[in-house]
Amino acid sequence: MFKYKSSKDTGAKSWIYQRISGIALVVFAIGHYILMHFQPEAGKTYEAVFARMQFSWYRIIDLTFVTLALYHGLNGIWGIFRDYDLKSGTKITIISALLIFGLAFLFWAYYIVFSIPYGKPMP
Amino acid sequence: MAEKINPKIKTFDQKEWVKTNLSYKKDSGSWAWILHRISGVALIAYLFLHIWSISPLVQGKAAFEQKMATYSSTLFSFVEWFLFAFVLFHALNGVRIIIVDWADGAKYHKQLYLYTWVIGILLFLAMGLIMFSHIF
Repeated sequence: MFKYKSSKDTGAKSWIYQRISGIALVVFAIGHYILMHFQPEAGKTYEAVFARMQFSWYRIIDLTFVTLALYHGLNGIWGIFRDYDLKSGTKITIISALLIFGLAFLFWAYYIVFSIPYGKPMP
Repeated sequence: MAEKINPKIKTFDQKEWVKTNLSYKKDSGSWAWILHRISGVALIAYLFLHIWSISPLVQGKAAFEQKMATYSSTLFSFVEWFLFAFVLFHALNGVRIIIVDWADGAKYHKQLYLYTWVIGILLFLAMGLIMFSHIF
């Protein structure tokens, strides 16, 4: 009744990437919460953000965090849809929508980080 | 080739999936699954909101601080606190899933589910203490 339907993708890669990104996100999230909530003044003001962004390694951490989070989240949403027996047209529509939405927000996040200048803060 | 379907076996009707899902007997694992999905969808929705909400950084200090001022109300802190509950459940249950997959956790997954809640509630209360000590 529930026989295996013509797909070469067993989902094994998606499964392992979801676990690896999940573990990484837990580590990033702990750092993010300590930074943002132990001392809000040191975490959330424009000056604090600007000061952190002077270090390129911090920008790399930030962008890795948002990239992994978007990947993990959208792959998770796709995982929910994959539980149901969808027609291939519906599948393509959903995957395209997730990809477009995800890439748009990913580039927006990159744009925000790179718009913060090195050197002198914007008024 | 048409398959013979035994009429005694109830097949899954996708049009009634809510009803079907609700009819299942739910043990700790089913609740973990349901809550993991709900918290996951909530978190990705929040991530989009989060990118949007910090986007005034592009315009500089004044625009960013004006936007941040709207998020510094006590009500919003409560929302943030409950957002942390979603993060906690998803992270701790995610660790539980990994232990089930990789460390023979299927043999003790119910204890792990209990630890998820115990550790989660303790960290939730600790975060409340940290967050609201800055406000009150």
